[in-house]
Amino acid sequence: MIDVNNIEKSFGEVRAVAGVSFTVARGSVFALLGPNGAGKSTTINMLTTLLTPDAGHIHIAGLDVVKQADDVRRIIGATFQDIVLDRDLTGTEVLDFTGRLYGIDTAERRQRIQRLLDMVELTDAAHRLTGTYSGGMRRRLELARCLMTEPQVLFLDEPTQGLDPLHRVMIWQYIKRLQAEQQMTVVLTTHAMDEAEELANTVGIIDHGRLVAHGTPATLMRATGSERIVVTTANTDQPSRVDWREYTWVQSCDVIGTEIHIGVDRGAQRMAEILHLLEQAGVRVDEVRMVRPSLADVFLQVTGRLYRDEVR
Amino acid sequence: MYRATLTIWMRHMRKFFRNREELGGLLIQPILWVGLFGIGMGRMVSTTESYLSFMLPGILALTVLGGAAGGGMMFLDERLRGILREYQIAPIPRLGILLGHMLATLTKAFFQVAIVVIVGWVAGARWQGGIIGMFVALIALVCFGIGFAGLALAVAARSRSIMGYHGMIFLFNLPLLFASNALYPLTEVPTWMQWLALINPATWYIEASRSMDGVTQGTMPTMVSMGLLVGFATVGTWLALRRFQRLTQSH
Repeated sequence: MIDVNNIEKSFGEVRAVAGVSFTVARGSVFALLGPNGAGKSTTINMLTTLLTPDAGHIHIAGLDVVKQADDVRRIIGATFQDIVLDRDLTGTEVLDFTGRLYGIDTAERRQRIQRLLDMVELTDAAHRLTGTYSGGMRRRLELARCLMTEPQVLFLDEPTQGLDPLHRVMIWQYIKRLQAEQQMTVVLTTHAMDEAEELANTVGIIDHGRLVAHGTPATLMRATGSERIVVTTANTDQPSRVDWREYTWVQSCDVIGTEIHIGVDRGAQRMAEILHLLEQAGVRVDEVRMVRPSLADVFLQVTGRLYRDEVR
Repeated sequence: MYRATLTIWMRHMRKFFRNREELGGLLIQPILWVGLFGIGMGRMVSTTESYLSFMLPGILALTVLGGAAGGGMMFLDERLRGILREYQIAPIPRLGILLGHMLATLTKAFFQVAIVVIVGWVAGARWQGGIIGMFVALIALVCFGIGFAGLALAVAARSRSIMGYHGMIFLFNLPLLFASNALYPLTEVPTWMQWLALINPATWYIEASRSMDGVTQGTMPTMVSMGLLVGFATVGTWLALRRFQRLTQSH
């Protein structure tokens, strides 16, 4: 559905995007993940015809984003990083103007407005000025607005930035429903790891204007290596009683205080084996848990930096 | 394109009539201009009535200039706040976006023009040029407005900040009026100022208006001033369109 081929964009001396390529399959959710200033928004702006790339090509549904900009504009919808709503208009008016701008006739407009306000649960606030809305309500209205034109591809730039946890989950549910019910293709950017893990079929990790990793969340996480079994033992001297390096399925082993961190190929399977070995060695176990690698680990591996240091 | 232009115009009008501060300021401003400046200056020049008639086109020019500056401001505000992006990703021609803003700007400006004319009439200014003359003078003012609205929008499409925009726009405002024949006849000023005034669109409009009025003898033929104004409107629109089309090159 989307084919991005080696795009670049510089602003003066700054290379905001330095050669990014990826593809997005029809009906899937693609998350562009990366710290602030990594080039996510610039990439999205090029995909949505707001910026012209300095080099490279973008095709959406086979249409060239630069040469056939108006055709692309007809099939995409987008929300932007900062909330862009006219505070002096009501919720209904915002949607109505968008409908008019795209030449949707009155009857159809009314119908869509009603349906979308219902979907984002804003029917009660429909006739209030958006200036009186909370941040979460504004985000929901923006989502409704970009759906007014029934787009084939949706671009959501930081759709949950600055929202409380409740609203984040709400937006997530809308996005999942759009994908499930309408086979919508969605490209979203986020700097929240959990958001990408929750929503995306495919993830691209962007850093300093380059795509440093690209794949399904599962593949990326598998590539960073193992799942870990963390065993908490009763005493500090006990962990060393088993020599884990003898076993081929053990990939790493670290002892941190009373905890043993054992990297294994398949966590769920090896857990019983580990417990059995510990019992044989006479080690008393207080607690066992399995830790799955997250996209934060992927980021750490591909950039060599901890993700949390990058955000804010 | 008409659809986009009309939609954008409608949206601005709806916001305009909802915003009481803007509406109120816009209505009071011309009354103050005619009331304080026109009549006050008139007393100084002693022949109140004819001076008011003489300088009314100047006040109209200033009113339209202020309107154009305000229109650019409105566009810059939408651009800086990101509202513009909603139009930019829509499948509508860039000229449609431009004309929507221009139409909204001129509509507001001509509300003020109507008030200035009414207040001027109440204060004693009289039009001697007949209905056709009035129509030609109106066309001249519209061209003048289009030209400056275009310039203001072109500047607003580039400015990085509101302060920067004001710096640029200030050049267009009062100085432009002082370097014209708005407040004094050109025969009364030094030669270098005459030349300055002759390349000033405000002078072209005021010339056209006065010669249509028939009260004062114009210094340039109406055909020339009208031609220059049409050219000015075209150039203003063209400049703005060029900037609008380049909006995709940078932030």
